[in-house]
Amino acid sequence: MPEEYVKLDVTDIDNFRYDMRRCVRCKGCKWVDHIYMPGSKFSTRCPSEKRYLFDSFSAWGRLRLALGLMDGQVNYSQRLVEAIYKCQLCGACDAGCKRNLDLEISSSLEALRIKCVNDGYGPMPEQKALAEKIEKEHNVFGAPSKNRAKWIKENKPVDETDIIYFVGCYASYKMPEISRATASILNASGRGFKLMGPDEYCCGYPLYSTGQMDKAKEVAEHNIESIENSGARTVVTSCAECYKTLKVDYPKMLGKSTSDMGYQVIHLVEFVEEQLGEGNIQFKNKLDLRLTYHDSCNLARMSEPWVYWEGKRGHFGLTEPTMPRRRGTYGLYGQPRDILKSIPGADLVEMVRIRENAWCCGAGGGVKEAFPDFAKWSADERLLEAKDVGAQALVTTCPRCKENFTNTIKASGDNMSVYDISELIGEAIK
Amino acid sequence: MSIPKEAYRVLESIVGSEFISEDPVDCEAHTPGPNGFETDLGIATIMKRPGCVIFPSTTEEVQKIVRTCNRYKIPFIPVSTQWWSGRGAPKVNDAILLDLKRMDCCEIDERHMYAVVGSGIIYSQLQEEAMKRGLYTTIPGGGSQVGVVANHILYGSSPLNYRTCIANRRILGVEWVLPSGEILRLGSLAFNKDDFLWGEGIGPDLRGLIRGFSPGWMGSMGIVTKMSVKLFPFQPDKPIPTGISPETALELPLSRMRWYNFIMPDKGAVVKAMYEIGKAEIAAGVTKVPLFWRAIAKANNKEEFWEIWDKESEESVAAMNVLRVLLIGFTSERQLEYEEGVLLDIMEELGGKQARTKPTDESWIKNADSAGMWMMCGGYTSLEFDFEAIDHAIEKGVDCSALKKDFTPPLMRAYGDQGWFQVGDFGHVALFEFLTYHDPDDEEIHKVDEWAIALAKLNINKRYYTAQLASHKPLFLTGPAYGPDYHKWMLRIKEEFDPNNLSNPPVPADYDMFVDEAEWMKEIKDW
Amino acid sequence: MEQIVGAKKVFDSADMLGKYATDAGICPPGAPTIIVKPKNAEQVSKVVSFANNNSLPVIPISSGIHFHGTTIPYQGGIVLDLSHMNKILEVDAPNRRVRIEPGVTWEKVLEELEKEELRIITPLLPHASRSVVTDYLEREVPVIPVYEFGEPLLTYEVVWPNGELFRTGSASVPYYPDSPAKGTNPAGPGIDFYRLLQGAQGTMGVVTWANLKLEYLPKTDKILFMTFLSLHDAIEPIYRIPKLRIGQECLLLNHLDLALILANEWPDEFIRLKSVLPSWTLVLVLSGALRRPEEKIAYEEEALQDLKKQFFADMEILHALPGVTGGGRELIKRLRKPWPKEITYWKHRLRGACQDLFFIARPEEAPSYYHQVVDMLPRYGFPLEDMGFYLQPIEQSRACHLEFNFYYNPNEALERERMRILYREIGEELLEMGALFTRPYGDLADLVYEKTASYTTALKKVKNLFDPNNIMNPGRLCF
Repeated sequence: MPEEYVKLDVTDIDNFRYDMRRCVRCKGCKWVDHIYMPGSKFSTRCPSEKRYLFDSFSAWGRLRLALGLMDGQVNYSQRLVEAIYKCQLCGACDAGCKRNLDLEISSSLEALRIKCVNDGYGPMPEQKALAEKIEKEHNVFGAPSKNRAKWIKENKPVDETDIIYFVGCYASYKMPEISRATASILNASGRGFKLMGPDEYCCGYPLYSTGQMDKAKEVAEHNIESIENSGARTVVTSCAECYKTLKVDYPKMLGKSTSDMGYQVIHLVEFVEEQLGEGNIQFKNKLDLRLTYHDSCNLARMSEPWVYWEGKRGHFGLTEPTMPRRRGTYGLYGQPRDILKSIPGADLVEMVRIRENAWCCGAGGGVKEAFPDFAKWSADERLLEAKDVGAQALVTTCPRCKENFTNTIKASGDNMSVYDISELIGEAIK
Repeated sequence: MSIPKEAYRVLESIVGSEFISEDPVDCEAHTPGPNGFETDLGIATIMKRPGCVIFPSTTEEVQKIVRTCNRYKIPFIPVSTQWWSGRGAPKVNDAILLDLKRMDCCEIDERHMYAVVGSGIIYSQLQEEAMKRGLYTTIPGGGSQVGVVANHILYGSSPLNYRTCIANRRILGVEWVLPSGEILRLGSLAFNKDDFLWGEGIGPDLRGLIRGFSPGWMGSMGIVTKMSVKLFPFQPDKPIPTGISPETALELPLSRMRWYNFIMPDKGAVVKAMYEIGKAEIAAGVTKVPLFWRAIAKANNKEEFWEIWDKESEESVAAMNVLRVLLIGFTSERQLEYEEGVLLDIMEELGGKQARTKPTDESWIKNADSAGMWMMCGGYTSLEFDFEAIDHAIEKGVDCSALKKDFTPPLMRAYGDQGWFQVGDFGHVALFEFLTYHDPDDEEIHKVDEWAIALAKLNINKRYYTAQLASHKPLFLTGPAYGPDYHKWMLRIKEEFDPNNLSNPPVPADYDMFVDEAEWMKEIKDW
Repeated sequence: MEQIVGAKKVFDSADMLGKYATDAGICPPGAPTIIVKPKNAEQVSKVVSFANNNSLPVIPISSGIHFHGTTIPYQGGIVLDLSHMNKILEVDAPNRRVRIEPGVTWEKVLEELEKEELRIITPLLPHASRSVVTDYLEREVPVIPVYEFGEPLLTYEVVWPNGELFRTGSASVPYYPDSPAKGTNPAGPGIDFYRLLQGAQGTMGVVTWANLKLEYLPKTDKILFMTFLSLHDAIEPIYRIPKLRIGQECLLLNHLDLALILANEWPDEFIRLKSVLPSWTLVLVLSGALRRPEEKIAYEEEALQDLKKQFFADMEILHALPGVTGGGRELIKRLRKPWPKEITYWKHRLRGACQDLFFIARPEEAPSYYHQVVDMLPRYGFPLEDMGFYLQPIEQSRACHLEFNFYYNPNEALERERMRILYREIGEELLEMGALFTRPYGDLADLVYEKTASYTTALKKVKNLFDPNNIMNPGRLCF
């Protein structure tokens, strides 16, 4: 096999031709890791494959279609675009494939969306409309950007700190319970926080994840500049989507590694774990609750630092220098659980599919916007698991997960509660 | 060309519009390739995109679909997981692909130790359900991701066969839609369509029709929709999953389950140990480990694998003989202690040195890392394997290894490794498998097809048994040699039960079709 | 025929034909045309080929005694007596395999194997002159349910109804047995031909040799018994004990069958045993393997005691049967051999003959079947005390072989006739209850094949492919 020059660069889908050509249809991208297989129920982790059944809605099918598109055997059609976009990009397929084969599935799927947009067939109209809102008001709601920091109440930002709290659109405009809880935690630790205020644009997740690369890059560059100008060394966020976008996708878009960025991005749970360890935060209040924890994809298997790579690939697919493989092993699985277990009175029960096997809430990848029924269906599937273990409440680390679960519960008339972890921590430290 | 509109309407009325499509996007996605088991080799040149994909959910729906195909003379192919992707595509145009994933029932009769499974259930699902009930099944070499039904009628080989035997004997009741659309029920189902207890025929046993060695009909004799399969008593302490991907494993209850690695002084000692362990009627799995698997286990990625592997030589590979033994205290903890005592006695006699062994199982109890076989080189096939006596495995391994030199490259350098072999049926048989690896984009990839034929001829000339019969290799090459003329019976049976030749044509002669059509095979076709 | 096998091996005298016209069962006599005794597969092939070309029935037989009417020719034809093909062809101790011709009897093979401390696991006390190959082709059930891989039969050479020779499984390699392949894999080639010949009653071809699995004779044994007043009480132990892989031989007999088996002095000891033996006895033999045999027995016995404590604490495990000379320990040796030929066959001791009615079932169903049969016996004036009962767990009790033994006087025409009616009517009733008659002999065949119509249709198609002229034992099964 002749040597080829390859980059981990999703703007050129040809970089992933090798991965698409090496899929063997083991369906590790669909099944829960066989070691953890729970039986005949809750046995898969790909929502789109389960919902739509056809291979076109699976990772292996999409890879085949991508190749077909590249080689002229498949043409764009409504069905194809649907197949490309009815996917939360939750990373289950990537982690599953990396169990055995180390193929770059997530990057292939991202590259496919970027190609789709560049070829003029994507994104979905609803996702495009969202992009226009972001362009206009720098948030997904199209709400006035000057109101971005209106959520602030008692816990106010300070000047003397090296921490920026990146609030995110949802916690800024729609779920102030999250931003207020986070602010209280940051202040309680003594570290305090700064805000970017109207200078904080949408992180760009809805743009990047739907293949709107140019627009995503614009907001990324703006946010990076704002962070750098602030002098902060640490960016804390309480939104998993923002977390992954800032930590992983920003350097990816710029052709850099996470470690090359001038600051570190951490999630609130990392911060709290550290502060608990240093004794700066204590859990004082009891929480009488049987709860289960939902691993948000972007905090879990999708969140390992990005390592830029370019090099040669030759015979047997050997790379030089050795390509780094992000397998989802080092996602933030332990921190939320340790925190919850430390809260007095919290009875943590685990669902069947957890950590790298977690079932996506359904909202990500532009699905909530373009295919709300599918997003709801995915959440319903997950809630079945939560009920199966007798949980009274579902806890998550992402406002988008929280919203999707909450809406789904409401629609079905159920009575399970949904919390963001910041809320429970906030209550526990009062 | 596509399937006739009237036929499509009928099919749609059977399953509902949500479960059928002839959209080229869906049909293309259901076409395997360009990689997979044999999908990168010559047989793939005759693979076609299906004309329609359909998802039935019951045996009755399958029957209606097959009858419709007969009415409109449309070929069809059933798939469950499509793991054997090189054979999971039709070989004729405009065929209907029946994806059986919706048929996912799994019911276990704990007392009588069997599971009734639909064609959509895979092994890791079944194994977990079985273990919850103090039972177990055999995870095959094909992987825990393969369909239970499909694998039971195809292969079903693994170190656990040491106790549980090859899959032929593990099939009980079968619900089978014949190529004509009739439903044939085997075993106790023939008496009562809800009784899945038993598999024997009434008089002659028609389970003999449904599979063989190997690989049976590959979807060319209709569709098995449901089957009861034997489960076996396990021990009460369930192994616990641990670790995070990719380092996941089952933590074994060491008082009841243990793996042992022994470094044996030479291959002869490995073979003697296998015989002695079988004679002693101990153990639950006995297998020689190909050295490159140890390198895979140690390596963090494929580059590291090659760093480790390329340090080996023919001498070092020949000198390193690892025997791996699984003990399970089925009866009690004391049983395991007893068996360990016997095992160590045998090792002392033969000079086997116990090596460090993890207290976990990464492969065989619930997972079998078959997909990982593609990791090293990107391509993998197992073009030679069989079940026969232990010494048959040894002799064949030597010959295969010698022959392989002529085909290396493009085959991966294995430094003379003589194949993987493991014991079955308490030492009455051995499973032998000669695994080879290649780069699917190698310029000389066609030589892998030539290697396949060379192996077939080696078997015939040297009088070895092989699983590479029927559609695995050219039917008209192996047919006259084995039986003799087993192929004639197969073709007669095929003609009788599939008079319209609609069930995955031209299997079992699909490999013959490829050989006839491929330019690079013309020179070597001398039969 | 004389040209093929030699004049001395062809018989058509009335006397000789008469011997082959009946058997030791209840089926009416038939009418063979000629008896031929080939000595090798080539001769068999020529005889069958000739028969096929001339549409003559061929009835292969290999045993010295038959019970189920399967060898009685009802359409004339050639009785192919394979009893002279009685060589033990190979004993392959390392691979634990023996290859024998169909005329090899239990007596011959077990005696030979014992010299090398080997054995074939046996069904219950087979008649010494029964063909081993035939018994396992007919799926007789072994008394040892502990081996998961079951089925001693491996590969065979067969003469198809068209006269062609064929070898099944891994014996199909070119030039077998002059090959590295030993014939230890029954599967294939292509499809599992071996299955088509099982249970076939000689209707699918003539097996001219077979490979069977061997096991080593245990180094030491300990026999245990559990006795029950009610069959129902035996069910739980029957499920639980083999599942823990405890023991080798494991079987349940009623007092009549056990007395028939144990009695050395006839009839006094038999009468005494019948009165002292409990209604039901579970026989369990713990065996030490080749290595550390006592340790094996020790752990199995310990596990058995733990099982008892947990699940049947109020039942006793006995080391000897009370009232039985030797405590019943001689059963260990007896169960590993055929019935001694110098003693009247145990099933013929009581009345001279025995009609077996057997099928596959779930052990838990045994009491219902038993009570059904008991309820029906008065219709035929058949005394309960003349009925034996045998339950054989199969493969760790995933199922069982249930067998009713009806002892009768074969010399009394009325009794024979009564037995025929009883067999058919009780069989029919049990069939309706769900009994799996996978070996439907005699009059049961019609009933069973009618019930399993779609199976029957497919089977006939297969038969027609292999034997379009229906020469192989015509009239048998559904053919």
